[in-house]
Amino acid sequence: MRRSDLFLLIFAMVATPARADDLTIVSWGGAYETAQRQAVIAPFAAETGLDVDVGVYDGSWTTVAERGAPEGWDVIDMLADQARVACAQGLLLKIDPGALFAPEALADFAPFAPDVCAVPQNAYARVMAFDDRAFSGVKPTRIEDFFDTDRFPGPRAVQRSPDGILEWALLAEGVPPEQVYGLLSTDRGLRLAFRKLDTIRDDIVWWQDPAAPAEMLANGRAVMAAGFNGRFFDMAQRARAPIDIVWDGRIIGIEVWAIAADTDAPDAARAFVQYAADPATMARLATQIPYGPTRRSAFDRIGINRDLGVPMRAHLPNAPQHGGRALVRDSGWHANTEDLRQRRFRDWLASDD
Amino acid sequence: MTLGTQSDTAPAPLRMVILTGIALTVGGAASMAAIALVDLVALLNTVLLVEPRARVQWESVPGFVAVMTILVPTLGGLIVGLIHRHLSPAGRPLGPPDVIEAVQFHKPLPDLRSGLVSTLSAALSLGTGASVGQYGPMVYLGAIFGGFAHRLRLGVPNLASIAVSCGVAAAISTAFNAPIAGVLFAHEVVLRHYATRAFAPVTVASVAGYVIANVIFERPALFRIEFPGVAHGYEFGLVAILGLFVALAAIVFMRLLLAIGPALAQRIRWPEARTAMAGLAVGLTALILPDVLGIGTSTLRFATIDGAFGLGELIVLIAAKIILTALCIGAGFSGGAFSPSLLIGSLIGVLFWTLASGLAGVPTSGAAIYAIGGMMAFASAVIGAPLTCILIVFELTRNYDVTIAAMVAVVFSNLVSHRAFGRSLFDVQLARRGIDFSLGRDRAHFAALKVVDFLQPQAVTATADDRPAEVAERLRAQGWREAFVLDAEGRLLGVFSPGAQEDPPRVAQGLAPARLVFDDATDLADAMERLRGFVGDAVPVVCGETGRYLGAVSEADLVSAWLDEGARLRKEENASI
Repeated sequence: MRRSDLFLLIFAMVATPARADDLTIVSWGGAYETAQRQAVIAPFAAETGLDVDVGVYDGSWTTVAERGAPEGWDVIDMLADQARVACAQGLLLKIDPGALFAPEALADFAPFAPDVCAVPQNAYARVMAFDDRAFSGVKPTRIEDFFDTDRFPGPRAVQRSPDGILEWALLAEGVPPEQVYGLLSTDRGLRLAFRKLDTIRDDIVWWQDPAAPAEMLANGRAVMAAGFNGRFFDMAQRARAPIDIVWDGRIIGIEVWAIAADTDAPDAARAFVQYAADPATMARLATQIPYGPTRRSAFDRIGINRDLGVPMRAHLPNAPQHGGRALVRDSGWHANTEDLRQRRFRDWLASDD
Repeated sequence: MTLGTQSDTAPAPLRMVILTGIALTVGGAASMAAIALVDLVALLNTVLLVEPRARVQWESVPGFVAVMTILVPTLGGLIVGLIHRHLSPAGRPLGPPDVIEAVQFHKPLPDLRSGLVSTLSAALSLGTGASVGQYGPMVYLGAIFGGFAHRLRLGVPNLASIAVSCGVAAAISTAFNAPIAGVLFAHEVVLRHYATRAFAPVTVASVAGYVIANVIFERPALFRIEFPGVAHGYEFGLVAILGLFVALAAIVFMRLLLAIGPALAQRIRWPEARTAMAGLAVGLTALILPDVLGIGTSTLRFATIDGAFGLGELIVLIAAKIILTALCIGAGFSGGAFSPSLLIGSLIGVLFWTLASGLAGVPTSGAAIYAIGGMMAFASAVIGAPLTCILIVFELTRNYDVTIAAMVAVVFSNLVSHRAFGRSLFDVQLARRGIDFSLGRDRAHFAALKVVDFLQPQAVTATADDRPAEVAERLRAQGWREAFVLDAEGRLLGVFSPGAQEDPPRVAQGLAPARLVFDDATDLADAMERLRGFVGDAVPVVCGETGRYLGAVSEADLVSAWLDEGARLRKEENASI
């Protein structure tokens, strides 16, 4: 029996009879939350007998600070960089990864192991996708192709934000993934990134709603798009749009589970986090929605999405079989350079006016 | 003094096992130590805001970043200077020249404490952003592990030298993810021969380092290069010209580096003040040109991107990096010249490309090929390892075109720098210590043997007042024909040969000046040159300072020593396992 199972069993035995607010979990809503309910939350509630309430928030640490305590949040689904800031602000409960997970389980996490405030739960990616109808001959295969309007002409759907596109600009300049954030930390690196963006400035179609890039590809407003893999997957699989994902240059982001600092159910929260971080649980979530598990052993368990009849492993951003370059989003860097990147991005936008 | 080989050698199969074991142990340890050093430097760079990624996260507090930029290298210099002064018996950083000397002459490395202090101060120097390189300290660190073999008596001739070379190869292999270059560097720079006895274990150690770095720790190469190839045939000609330009810059750099140390020592008495001053210069320059801080990995990458630097920016940066690196190393910061050479060379390559493609309008394959060519042309001139540099390019790029282009630049650079300066910075530094490899390894070994060590105890001396008959009797008893005549203070007056003419009443009247005199600094190589045409029993040896007679060496003994040392070298250079 694994230590986590033992923990759950003991917890289930000593748990008081269920109350309406045994555990409050906060996530992002939508299809993602639906998948979480089915794959993680409901099985946990059934196994422990706890009454779990699910709330929705916008993902920012400031909202955690505003609403967390008044609304009695216990477990929070966060982006890794937001969790890092929230941890530094004292909004999250410190956890001891060594107490929650056995050493072999900790070694199984990738690319990051749990830290003092957060347990990685799934991986999403910002990817490049294209409309297959737009390129009858040679198809785009590398991130350089996103910036190559001679070989691949047409509008590009890009988020009106420096997130992701600056990393791609340097990757397209031949910078290896491990050096991208180092170079973007310099004035010269930022200048080069924006210089690369200049090459497609006239071909950019901006988006702000994450659903937009897939829609733009589907309706022909863009031939290439930068967006999130889950959205492109949905449009391709559910709406049958001729969208193909280029995995080269994917920027993998990590979502984590964190426990609110003022939770009134720390044991139940820890038990949930342990349960959610089990490879079987992660695999269940990944078969429902194309977000990859953050434990290597979970990949062996991922099968077919029952709604779509699609084998899911090939659609996960961190699937080991994907070739090309991958960049793991540096949450610390993103958290600490927000103002700089936004300022430089606004300046670049204004420079065209 | 060159030591002889061990006489009690183990059987060949046992020697094979011993050498393999030593290679794996030293290679593994050196590789892990090199990784630890790199990680320690990276940690310090992050904590002390030397690394751009750390600095940018404080960009909202520019005053704090500016203060750290000035203070960190300055205080780093102060601490490094104090450490060398108070904790290191050697009192200075140790590096590849010390390794070369130990390996070549089968001597132990400088004491372990000095080595460890040098490594610690290198981590501090690099960690606080001094403009020095990490490969020199890595090479020395690798050599330390091999140096422990000096105490072993396992029946393998030259075991310590081989073990040190194993450590060096593993360190280079780990640093560049380049096991072939690791093997070559150890042979080209340190061992300077390719005997199977050394080649086999050094190769094993280099591969061990590569496996540890890649398979066990999954370390990325310190820099990776992807390059499609050379588009135009004439670009090989352009990189040849680039090689010539780079050589000139490398010569300026090396001359400056060698001159600045003594000049500073004359003007600034305290070593820690010299290093602190150099650190302050780095910090102040970095306020305007942050590229000069530390190893410059980001700048090296920028050099491979077309148009990352403007023309004026390049000129200023090249000049700043050359001056600051020479200043830091000359002042006493612990670190090598190889990493800065890579950076300076790549920037010169980009400058050349900018002039060729931008101003002259020549179609080219892009900046990367010139950056790589310049990088290796400069580095090979400095470390005197053209083959190693060519192989590093090949192992990093796996690209034939780029390797050939870099090879052309390297060869032309070496042609000029070898002729106008010397084979390498290391060799010139060693020559200043009296170890001259410029005329070959054998010459340096002969030069390490002093004639004063071959004095003949039977040599006959006389005073000016001695009677010739007595002197003749003493000569007959010893079987010599010449006596060396000394004054009351024991200084050589000349040579007396009885029977050469009618004997005078006193030796003083029959005195002839010595046809050839050696002093206590005369080495075997010099002595053999001067013996041409010499006829006589022996050559007197006097003290260079006082002129006092020390003894005499016979021509036969010098020839024997020459032949013995030559045979020993041939045996070492052609030894199988």
